[in-house]
This record gives sequence, structure tokens and C-alpha cells, in this order.
Amino acid sequence: MSEALLRIEGVSKKYGPNTVLNDVSFEIGKGEVVGLLGDNGAGKSTLVKIMSGVVDSTVGDFFWDGQKIDKMNRNVTERLGVETIFQDSALVPQMTITRNIFMGREVTNRFGFMKMKEMDAVAADVLDSVVTIEGIKSPKQLVSSLSGGQAQAVAIARAVHFKRSLLILDEPTSALAVRATEALLGYLTQLKGEGVSSVLVTHNLHHAFQVCDRHIVMNHGKKIMDARREDTSVEELTAAVVEGAVGLARFRQGTF
Amino acid sequence: MSDKIPGRRGPILEVPLPTEAISVRRKPAGEPASFFGRMNYNLQFIRGRGALEISIVLVVLLAGYVIASLISPTGFAFLNPNNLSGVISQSVPVLAILGLAAGILMIAGEFDLSLGANITLSAIVFIKTSEAAGLWLGIAAGIGTGVAVALVNGIIVVYTKIPSFIATLGMSFFWMGAGIFINGTSPAALTTSREGTMEYLFAHNFGSFRSQLVWLLIIGVLAWFFMHRHKLGNHIFAVGGNPAAAEAISIKSKQVKLMSFAIFGGLVGFAAILIAVRTSSIQPGGTATEDFTLFAIAAAVVGGTSLTGGRGSVIGIIVGAALIELIRNGLLLAKAPGFYITLFVGVTIVIAAIFNKLMEGKAR
Repeated sequence: MSEALLRIEGVSKKYGPNTVLNDVSFEIGKGEVVGLLGDNGAGKSTLVKIMSGVVDSTVGDFFWDGQKIDKMNRNVTERLGVETIFQDSALVPQMTITRNIFMGREVTNRFGFMKMKEMDAVAADVLDSVVTIEGIKSPKQLVSSLSGGQAQAVAIARAVHFKRSLLILDEPTSALAVRATEALLGYLTQLKGEGVSSVLVTHNLHHAFQVCDRHIVMNHGKKIMDARREDTSVEELTAAVVEGAVGLARFRQGTF
Repeated sequence: MSDKIPGRRGPILEVPLPTEAISVRRKPAGEPASFFGRMNYNLQFIRGRGALEISIVLVVLLAGYVIASLISPTGFAFLNPNNLSGVISQSVPVLAILGLAAGILMIAGEFDLSLGANITLSAIVFIKTSEAAGLWLGIAAGIGTGVAVALVNGIIVVYTKIPSFIATLGMSFFWMGAGIFINGTSPAALTTSREGTMEYLFAHNFGSFRSQLVWLLIIGVLAWFFMHRHKLGNHIFAVGGNPAAAEAISIKSKQVKLMSFAIFGGLVGFAAILIAVRTSSIQPGGTATEDFTLFAIAAAVVGGTSLTGGRGSVIGIIVGAALIELIRNGLLLAKAPGFYITLFVGVTIVIAAIFNKLMEGKAR
């Protein structure tokens, strides 16, 4: 059996006396789209920050492709290819699309000067072929002139272009119009074909159910449900997200 | 083909897109054929960055001055070589270099209000070292002091997360005191060491321009390539524009901010040398250099630098500095009373800030 891309075991996080994550374990398979669901305060954001290496877990073990990772920090996650796309802070609005795509990974000569023409050409190519985004005239446009959906798509195109292996999308659809959401979800399913794993963090169960292979439901810092799509339903997920473990038990007894 | 493109680590995703919503393809970006069409096409990408608009204002003002000076060479002596060389090419470069210092730091999202105190301290160290150990050590010590002062400020700001406005305001009193501590209250003065190489390098009169203008050209070109074409400059824009996005892509924002403080310090140290050689003496704790703090920030703002970081341009800042000095010079030549100058500069700054705000809205 092939190893999971990322496996986390017994992760807990305490902020002072508050336990935000309590003994959470799960796997993200290669090329799998995992939905991370839960109400506000369920611990989703903390989990995202731990997986992307921004904050440390209090306890817990991490395995990447079967190899134990001593510490998940930014350097490690960058090397492994984890990329987190936060809701509205993925791009720098005052910079052009090209500069955003190549931010931190500029194509330069050996003195560190950027090859602008080359970068513009690649960026135009990325916009054309990696993800199709309506209404973008040129990679020289400022990101501030884009809509939320276009900016989101640019961020995803960037991650795919640089062959990231695990994409974590934090509430990507919350600021998007219906059409843009459709495009985004359609795009996530294609990432699987590329062998890119993704974690979709969302409130919207219908969006998650549409594209995710597996659903993980969090409630008060605990994982209360981890089911493949074919083993669950939107109704069951709703019960788990809204009413927590109690609701899930009642749903399974048929009394929800 | 696509495999040869640098930066690409594998083939692109070429699966046809499934849903109807994304099947509408972007039209290829064809540039318009006519000259004006092409110009307008290119303009829409540089709009909202300030350099163009402010340059137009400068050119109009300059044209007005030239015409006025041609009509009345004695009444408004703008084109007089003494004015061009003695005033314009001495004052514009110093303010422009300081504006670049403040502007680069503002693009990174920080301020340093100890700029004036830094000038005083760096100039004193430059004067004392050159008098004692010669010009070259003096230059190194002057610039080194500027960098050290700014880095101390930067470390305080970056690691304590105190707003840089407050931290550097407090530190400015410290550095002012440090100047008096190492020099005493009497002015530090250049004596014999000013003659020869030093004067030629930093304040020589070449007829219609001076050494300072050459330095502005060199520093301006270097700054432009660094800020707009080098990856480190790109990181400064990224960190100032959206620190979270920069961090998410593994740009280390603390290091980038410290680097911006160091560049700021280097430029301030260099400007301090220009000021010291021009005036030959520096008064510790004096107000002459203190004024530069706000004028440098003003030059950056007039040149289209955002007060919240992430936006600005080297050309804009230099033009902004030139505009402020031209207005100052024009009022002086028109024999306006002294307070008019402060008054007009103040109005210019506020108008420029409003203009900036409007453009930020337009770019969004």
C-alpha cells in the first residue's frame, strides 16, 4: 500500500489554558481532495496553520510520504511543496500579476536581476493554459484591478505552475460569485489528475461534497468524522457540522 | 516548448475544462496597432503608480519657470547659472536621496522619524573621522553610522512590533543626544580636510551643475534597478503590500524590513556627507537637519509613495523631491516672505496625499 502524502498523528494545540486542537489524527492521500469542515471555532484554521508550518503544534507527529518530519516549520513546508491559499491575502494587490506569480521565485540572472520579458511571457502562458481566467487582459495588470475570483484563480495557477504537492485552500469560495465558484471547484477536481493533493477548508458543505473525495469534520478541536464521499451524505455532514458528535450519533440512529 | 520555459518544473495542465462556466476562454492579449492605442494600452498598466502624473506637474511648473525667467531674467532669475548650480543642483539631489531613503522604507511599510537625527550623527562622525584619519575612512564611518543607527531602529521596530512611527520618534531624541555626547554642544567643522578630493567629490561647481547632481544620477539609476528590477526590491514591494501573502510564499518579512532599514541608513549616511561637505559644519542637536525628516517623507508622498506601503517608484520620488525644491526655489526667487515657503510646501504635500488616495481608489 502506498504511503499517504501527509499523515498527522495525535496533534494537539494549546493557547495558554485553552485547548484548540485535541488529539487530531488523519491522512491526506496522494492526489486526494480532502474537505476540512466544521463550524467557527472548530479548530480548522489552527489546523491549517499547523499544516502550513506557520504555527507549532503543542504535541503531535507528522509523516510526509512515510518519512517522519521532526518539526513542521515554514522552511520544511516550503521544501515539501505545501502551499496555503488564504481567503483574501494570497496576492499583493499593488503588484502586477506577473510579479505575484513569481513572487519569491523570481526568474533572475546570476546577479539577482529579474528577467521581466521572460517572466511576462511565462505568466501569460500560465494565465492561458494552467487555469482559464475570464477577463484578464494582460499579466502586466495590477492584481488590485482583478475580481476576487480572478485573484483566487491566479493564486491557484501559481501553485500549480510551481508544482506544489499539497494545496491548502482556506475558505476559497466565501468571497466568490457563483460562476467563479463553479470554475474553482471544477479546477480542484483536475488537480487530482496532476497528482496534486488538496485540502479544501470551507463552511459550505455543498461545495465540499461536490468535489471532495473524503470529508473530515471538526468540532470543538476534535475530529468527529472522517468518511469517504461514498460512505456519507450531505445530510450526515450537516448533522455533524451543526450539532457535533451528538448530532452525528443521532443522525446515525435516525433521530436527527 | 513549455518545458524549456525557465521556472516551469513540468508540463502544464492541459485537461479541457469541464464546466460551462469556465469554458469561455480569455481573448489573447493583442496590443492595439495605432500609436495612441498602444500608448493608452500601456498606460492602463502603469496608472495608479503616481510617477507619470507627478512628472507632468513638474514639467508644467518647469516650463512656467523657464518662460518667466526668459521674460524677466533679473526679476525671476531661475536660469541664472548661480541659481541652477548653487541652489537647484545642491538642494534637489540631497532631498531626492533622502526621499529615496524614506520612500524605500515606506514601500516596505515602515517609517523612520529619526532621519534628521541620523543625518546629524552621521555627519558628525564623518567630519571627526575625516579630520582625524582622512577622507576615505571618513566616508566609510559616515555611511556606516547611518546604517548602524537605522539598523538599531529597525531591530527595535521589527522584533518588538512597536509601530515604527513611535519607536523611531523616541529613538530620534536618543540619536540627537548621542550627537551631542560624542561632539559636545559646539559645531563640528571641516577645516583643512575639505580642500581637494573631498570638495571635488561632493560639492564641486562645474559651472551649471555640481557634484551632488552626478551622485543623484548614479544613486537614482542604482535605486531604480534595485527596486524595480532586482528580486530583493520585488520582495520589499511584496512585504510592504501584503506581508501575509509574502510570508505565505516564504519571503522572510523581518529580514526584508531590516534590509530596507539598512538601505535607508546607507542613503541617509551618504546624504549626511553631502550636507556636511556643503555646509562645512554641523550643529549637534540643531534644527537645520531635523527639517529633513518631514521633507524627505513629503518628497516620497508627493512622488506617489503610499503611506501604507507596497506602492511607490524611484522616478516618482526623485520627481517629488525636485517639485518641492522647485516650489521652494520659485518662491525664493519671487521674493516671497519666508513663511510662504513652508505654507506652500505644506499645501503641496496635502494635495499630493489626496491625489495619491484618489489614485489608490482608481487602481482598485
